[in-house]
Amino acid sequence: VRSHKLLGVASLWLLLSCAGLAAMLHYEKTSGAPGDAPREWPAGSAIEPAGHTLILFAHPHCPCTRASIAALGQILAHAQGQVAAHVVFLQPASGPRDWVETDLWRSAQAIPGVDVRADLDGDEARRFHASTSGQTVLYAHGHLMFAGGITSGRGHFGDSAGGDITLALLSGASKAHARTPVYGCPLESKEP
Amino acid sequence: VSAAIVPGTIPFDRARSHVIFAKLQRGVALRTDRSFLWLMVVQYLAGIIAAIWISPRAWEGMSSHLHPHVIAAIILGGIVISLPVALAGLYPGERSTRHAMAAGQMLMSGLLIHLCGGRIETHFHIFGSLAFLSFYRDWRVLVTASAVVAIDHLVRGVFFPESIYGVLAAPWWRSFEHIGWVLFEDGFLFISIGQSVREMFSIAERQAALEFSHAGVERTVAERTSELTAEIAERRQTEHSLRLSEQRFRQLAETIPGVFWIKSPDLRDLLYVSPGYEQIWGHSCESVYEEPESCGECIIAEDRAAAEIGAVKAARGEPYETEYRIIRPDGNVRWISSRGFPAFDEVGKLARVVGFATDVTERKSLELKLLEAGRLETVGRLAGGIAHDFNTILTEVIGHAELIKDAASSAATKYQSGVAIERSATRAARLTQQLLAFSRKQMLCVENLDLNEVVLGLEPMLRGLLRKGIALRTTVQTRLPRVQADATQIQHMLVQLALNAQDAIPREGTLTIQTASMTVEAGLAPGDDTLPGEYVTITVSDTGAGISEEVMPRLFEPFFTTKPHGQGPGLGLSMCYGVAKQLGGNVTVRSKLGAGATFTIYLPSRDGKGSIPPAEVVKWAPNQPDKYATRNILLVETNPTLRDLTATVLRKRGYVVHEATDESDALKIASSLYSIDLLVADEVMPGTTRADLAKQLQASNPDLRILVTSDKLRDFETVSAALSGLTILQKPYTPALLCSKVLAALGNH
Repeated sequence: VRSHKLLGVASLWLLLSCAGLAAMLHYEKTSGAPGDAPREWPAGSAIEPAGHTLILFAHPHCPCTRASIAALGQILAHAQGQVAAHVVFLQPASGPRDWVETDLWRSAQAIPGVDVRADLDGDEARRFHASTSGQTVLYAHGHLMFAGGITSGRGHFGDSAGGDITLALLSGASKAHARTPVYGCPLESKEP
Repeated sequence: VSAAIVPGTIPFDRARSHVIFAKLQRGVALRTDRSFLWLMVVQYLAGIIAAIWISPRAWEGMSSHLHPHVIAAIILGGIVISLPVALAGLYPGERSTRHAMAAGQMLMSGLLIHLCGGRIETHFHIFGSLAFLSFYRDWRVLVTASAVVAIDHLVRGVFFPESIYGVLAAPWWRSFEHIGWVLFEDGFLFISIGQSVREMFSIAERQAALEFSHAGVERTVAERTSELTAEIAERRQTEHSLRLSEQRFRQLAETIPGVFWIKSPDLRDLLYVSPGYEQIWGHSCESVYEEPESCGECIIAEDRAAAEIGAVKAARGEPYETEYRIIRPDGNVRWISSRGFPAFDEVGKLARVVGFATDVTERKSLELKLLEAGRLETVGRLAGGIAHDFNTILTEVIGHAELIKDAASSAATKYQSGVAIERSATRAARLTQQLLAFSRKQMLCVENLDLNEVVLGLEPMLRGLLRKGIALRTTVQTRLPRVQADATQIQHMLVQLALNAQDAIPREGTLTIQTASMTVEAGLAPGDDTLPGEYVTITVSDTGAGISEEVMPRLFEPFFTTKPHGQGPGLGLSMCYGVAKQLGGNVTVRSKLGAGATFTIYLPSRDGKGSIPPAEVVKWAPNQPDKYATRNILLVETNPTLRDLTATVLRKRGYVVHEATDESDALKIASSLYSIDLLVADEVMPGTTRADLAKQLQASNPDLRILVTSDKLRDFETVSAALSGLTILQKPYTPALLCSKVLAALGNH
């Protein structure tokens, strides 16, 4: 009797645990709103386009974006100066000046050759239609090559489809335009 | 208990080794459960801390809320650890607990990997957990854990490949690549677990062997302890018994008046003497322990031989009984009766001599008084007998003397009275001879005798003497040793015993006389007073009426007779006794009323001892011419009647007789004479002894012959040694015998 009860309890426990882990997996794989990036380099952008220009839009407090900064570092390490990289942090106008100076800011700054800048009140993000932290766009001579996330889940380190596509585009192995889901916090509050 | 032998090891209980192994396994499981319990709690807390630290909040623009990871760390982490922690608390050490622990640990790895953003480093948690799970030393636990990992990877590989591989479409074998690494580690861990289990089993076997050995040792100790306890109890019981025995012995030895003693078989070492020794001997017990011979030194010299007889018998392992006198330190003489008994060990060897000595001085004193009283009674009876017989004889003599003195008596009457007086005097002489024989002072003509010759020579005479109906049987031992004895006296003794036997046989019967030689050993002497030595015996036995117990003690008393009045004065057996004693022997009697009597005469054997000089043979020659007539004879006789008679008889034979009444008179006469050829002297002379007189006279006249007349033999050996030319004439004597002795003395140049 005890073993049957134990088996029942164990089954329930396993079910709950698996359900919890599945919920966690589900949350991890839930992407943000897909930003429809302009196909051509938008006018009015403070960033000067180059041959290959890569821009990562980030929320300075989003824990999921830590994985995106890490993935950017890996892409740039493989690209070996073939791309001009920028990390644009959201700087709300109402926020304090050091609101952006988080560990993410410092991590981005630590990547060689990356231009880190604050995007006051999210103007630049809006120009590139970026609404989720971790949104990455790649332009080649002003033409959009890639738009999407470079991680495989929220805050998930490691290989991802977006990272692989970006590297393939930069190396010239692929010319096709591609999009991937973006995993991160929304850059702007969903106003009612 | 099923004991088995493991080659090269000591015996042990195999079933017990399995029990110990199970116990060790359970101990390992318990310890590991406890460790995992704490690990689960720590991991849970670490997950929450990591979630708070890495992703505390989720943002939307400027607004933020609690990050789902923190919620997941708290709730999901709680769910994951709930079952393992509960089982570890409720059922520690059980198999289900460790399998739940394995599954929970793998789920916790998944949670932590999620919380840490899937970092590759966090995946080491899985491998670390597998290693940790191997602490259970149960490969099945690793199977459970690996199964959880495998299922997770397979499910996610199918449904969410990018969550694992970072690509949207991964090949099918990628899942097995990750599982393969887990199995790779499992392989090593299985080996490690196998080794650990074997070591644990070996420990269990050693433990079982040790327990088996300990159990054996403890059993042996318990058995030995039990034996020792029993031994101690037995020893205590023995000691108690010994104490009681010792107490009883001491009460016995110290209370009974007398001396208990224990000596070594050789009688040299005194092992024990009771305190009575101090009272009787007057010396301390310590002194006799230190010097055992001091006990014997107290014995009076003449009694030591009797004491030594006891020692000789004790050394032979025979019991003995002896009596002797001791002198106490205060000078008192005590009579001691000592009895000794051999004590043999279990193999029959003489181990000890034990004995008991008592002070019998009082008893001895009483015995002496009784003896004295008996002697006085005997003397009284002797005096009465002598008085009666002599009165009869004297009446006859006086009467006949009156007739001779009467002038009116005819010559024929006077002659008849003289003959009657001579007959009476002869009876008186025989009477005194018998008395002297009893008093052992008779003159004996001792010579080297073959008793067989005496017995066989006497046989015809005895046949004639004994009445019809009595058969005489004579048996003699061949090669009989010779004895020193007087043949005539032996014949008298045999005749006396034969006549007594005849009187004891009512009508018909047998009288047996036999000779033999025998050795009388110390302590085995027949009768009370036969000394040890070599003897020749003459046994006279009859088939008569026997002797009653009342008569037996008085048998050898003089004048004691059971015969009717007028059939002898009752001196026959006393004469036999006296003669035998005088010759150094003894007479003993064995008899039972109605079964005859046996008298045995013991005479010392002289073989090999050097015979004494042949006795003087007195030869009577009544018509011998006096060839020494005219020789000077000095006659010294106190009794005037006898002196006159002797002088008259000698003068009639032609001798020159000078009469003297005493020693001074004799010396005076001797000094006036030119020479004296013969001194005839009475033995008893007032004022001096005949030896002194003879010595003085022989000093001036070495050729002087000496004839001593004596009624009994006194100091014979002394005189013989001091004087030469000595002849003895026993009283009473006839004139003819006197002349014969004078002739012999004078002829003995």
